[in-house]
Amino acid sequence: MASEQTGVGTVRPPAAPGRPPTARQRVESLVLSIPYRVKLVVVWIAIFVILAIGFAAVGFDTDWMLEHLWFIVKGAWVVLFVALISIVAATVLALLGALGRLSKNPVAYGVSGFYTSFFRGTPLIVQLFLIYLGLPQIGIALREPYRSWFVLSAITAGMVGLSLNYGAYMTEIFRAGIQSVSHGQYEAADALGMTYKQKMQRVVLPQALRVVIPPVGNEFIAMMKDVALIAILGQDVFWSDPFRRANIVGTQDFRNLEAYVMAAGVFWILTAIFTFFQRRLETKVGKGYVRGVDARTRWFGGGGGDRGVGRPTAGIAVHDPSSAIEQVKQTQDHE
Amino acid sequence: MRKRRLFALVALFASLMLVGAACAEDEPAGGGGDGSPTDGAGEPANLLEQIEADGVLRVATDPKYPPQSSYNEATGTWEGFDIDVATEIATRLGVDIEWKTPTWNVLTAGRWSDRWDLSVGSMTITEERAEVLNFSEPYYFTPAGLAVQAGSDITSIDQLAGKTIGVCGACTYEFYLNRSLNIPNYEIEYVVPEDVTLKTYDTDTTAIQDLVLGRIDAAMSAVPTLTGAIDSGSEIELLGEPVFYEPLAAAADTDASLDSQPFIDRVSEIIEEMHSDGTLTELSNTWYGEDLTTQQAAA
Amino acid sequence: MSNDQVVVHVEDLHKYFGDLEVVRGVNIEVHLGEVVVMFGRSGAGKSTVLRCINFLEDPTSGVIEVDGIRLEGGGHRTRAKREQIRQLRIRTGMVFQQFNLFPQLTTLENVMEGPITVKHMPEEQARGLALTFLDRVGLAEKANQYPIRLSGGQQQRVAIARALAMEPKVMLFDEPTSALDPELIGEVLGAMKTLATEMHMTMIVVTHEMGFAREVADRMMFFNEGVILEEGPPEHMFQHTRFPETRKFLDAVL
Repeated sequence: MASEQTGVGTVRPPAAPGRPPTARQRVESLVLSIPYRVKLVVVWIAIFVILAIGFAAVGFDTDWMLEHLWFIVKGAWVVLFVALISIVAATVLALLGALGRLSKNPVAYGVSGFYTSFFRGTPLIVQLFLIYLGLPQIGIALREPYRSWFVLSAITAGMVGLSLNYGAYMTEIFRAGIQSVSHGQYEAADALGMTYKQKMQRVVLPQALRVVIPPVGNEFIAMMKDVALIAILGQDVFWSDPFRRANIVGTQDFRNLEAYVMAAGVFWILTAIFTFFQRRLETKVGKGYVRGVDARTRWFGGGGGDRGVGRPTAGIAVHDPSSAIEQVKQTQDHE
Repeated sequence: MRKRRLFALVALFASLMLVGAACAEDEPAGGGGDGSPTDGAGEPANLLEQIEADGVLRVATDPKYPPQSSYNEATGTWEGFDIDVATEIATRLGVDIEWKTPTWNVLTAGRWSDRWDLSVGSMTITEERAEVLNFSEPYYFTPAGLAVQAGSDITSIDQLAGKTIGVCGACTYEFYLNRSLNIPNYEIEYVVPEDVTLKTYDTDTTAIQDLVLGRIDAAMSAVPTLTGAIDSGSEIELLGEPVFYEPLAAAADTDASLDSQPFIDRVSEIIEEMHSDGTLTELSNTWYGEDLTTQQAAA
Repeated sequence: MSNDQVVVHVEDLHKYFGDLEVVRGVNIEVHLGEVVVMFGRSGAGKSTVLRCINFLEDPTSGVIEVDGIRLEGGGHRTRAKREQIRQLRIRTGMVFQQFNLFPQLTTLENVMEGPITVKHMPEEQARGLALTFLDRVGLAEKANQYPIRLSGGQQQRVAIARALAMEPKVMLFDEPTSALDPELIGEVLGAMKTLATEMHMTMIVVTHEMGFAREVADRMMFFNEGVILEEGPPEHMFQHTRFPETRKFLDAVL
């Protein structure tokens, strides 16, 4: 047959009308007709299956895993609780920081500059130790009851550290958000006779917040993962996140691979869930600003809280708030 | 109006934060009273009185150090030799017990900032540590030994020259290998060759796991810990005889805001009682299969 | 349409941007009900003068008086001065080239915002007031739409209503149609004409729309290099100019 004799570099002709398709061609068109998404799901399932087989082959102790699964999963509430409280505190700090960075008042500008520089310029883990172990040393010079204010429990030190650290990073986000509000808005508010407070409350901040919410959502997702760092301070079991729980039971039973895989799984599921909601949030919030909803999700659509690393900037539109934020986030990690 | 909902949300979060912060705080001993040692009007003069007044002893333990201490999450309780000793001490003091889980190097450094009262964690008495901690009488003595991979070429201690040995950081084993170990009233004989490379870990069990993986040539730790690892399936074997015996004691913070010396003296009394009435021997047999509660000279 | 009462008084206004003197001694008197059109080349200083009237720009020197509130340019913005400026602004309404509607509020909410927040008017009263003015500019049916759904011309008319809702003594227009597509300019100019003829609003308009000026203005002022070179009623401007620069500009624009 003519089609059988095609060699390298020639194209196999499609089934000619009237001629029955070969088995190969039938399979090919079948595969092509399966929607892309389904194929993607199949790929993922295949990866998991391969991993499962691999783990079984090296003697993964699945009995042990089942035995300790609930203990490790129980730590998830700590992640949510700590991240939620810390992100709220960080937001307050970020708002104050942003107003400070935009202020003409030298005290406000100076203090906020010091704050952001320090907490962005030092590792989070060092900050946690400073707060947990360093603060008490400062408190020693004082008398009771003030002395004990400087002694924080491990989990409280963790929340304070996360709040301060993320507040510093989010200051830039909020500053860009406030600045993304066009100058004309300020003028219109002024022209109506609003005070500074009214202007910020009624005109500027509502617009800034809409722009800022998607990045804050990403920060929350990143923060959930950083909750694991608190383990280094040795908090009580009650306040232990999945990582610390895995650390405890895995180490004492010499089942580290099994334990940490489970811990990783818990975090992965948590971030996946919130990333899903994050994407929906981005499309919803974008509605008042960009007529084409897709544009916005494309710019912000990386989930999992990458903190802006490696995201493409789709050009700078003059009046578009989101690109101002993108620019800031690109520079964030270089400072 | 939009304003009201926002305000309600903010109020909710604020209260959540306050609740979280309050729940998460450790109470310092006695809720932080005046630290000066006055004796009148029922103010606790020292740590012992404070603990008895509160009815609670806060003990620090390492949660992943079997068979000394490990966490049984099925029952939500702690188990181990150290756990039982500490529980017995609390019972004899007539108080309840509360467990704290700081990291090891925070414990050995002292300056606990009143976060907990006592460490019962198989801590070796050394001169350096005695500067920041008040030690009790030793409650047991543990042999320190070395282990290599099962079937390793290394069959005697002097063959360790030029090899890598894993130890837990800030442990007596590290000091031993660095030849800087100072145990009061005890003569140390250094039998491990001087040119070895040290690799430190957060805890013994991590070092042992690296040994199993072959990342290091040997590990040094308490012999019970090594045998415990062997029993739970780690493919290692003991190398030679124990190289020294370390006295292990309970410890309190010299820097606590209330004087801890009377407290630790009382703990020592209790430990002596536990030695003489056989409690310690019983516990040792239970957890280690042998009586480690008497001092032995190095082999 | 004029009256003896002077609503806006600008005395010897100078404005420097850095070393550049953009406004070189301008004097203006606007009476109640007057429509004044300021025109001239870009950079001639007309927008700057307008923005100095409500202190969106800080005059370097000179005096601004609006509805009895008299303020000197220059000097520091003390708390007292800031409050006076605010009071002055309450009495002036401004319409911007870029509309500057608040995007997170509906059209009606935009118009209500000033009375509620600045004048502490009760919501129901403000709503009624806002609807009236929206109706005046012909956009009552868009009350619950968000600005982004409106065309440029519609947005600008809403902006006019928003300024009107404050019931100002004088309306300031800063090139209100310059950012609009040609076919939308008419509806905005129409609304402005309504303001003048039906509401007898005092208006100061910076614009290039000479047709509007001819029809509606009581007085026109030609700005050239930071000063008012010529001023007078439209007939004078279009037929009997004194200065060649004025003629030259008008010829170019018309």
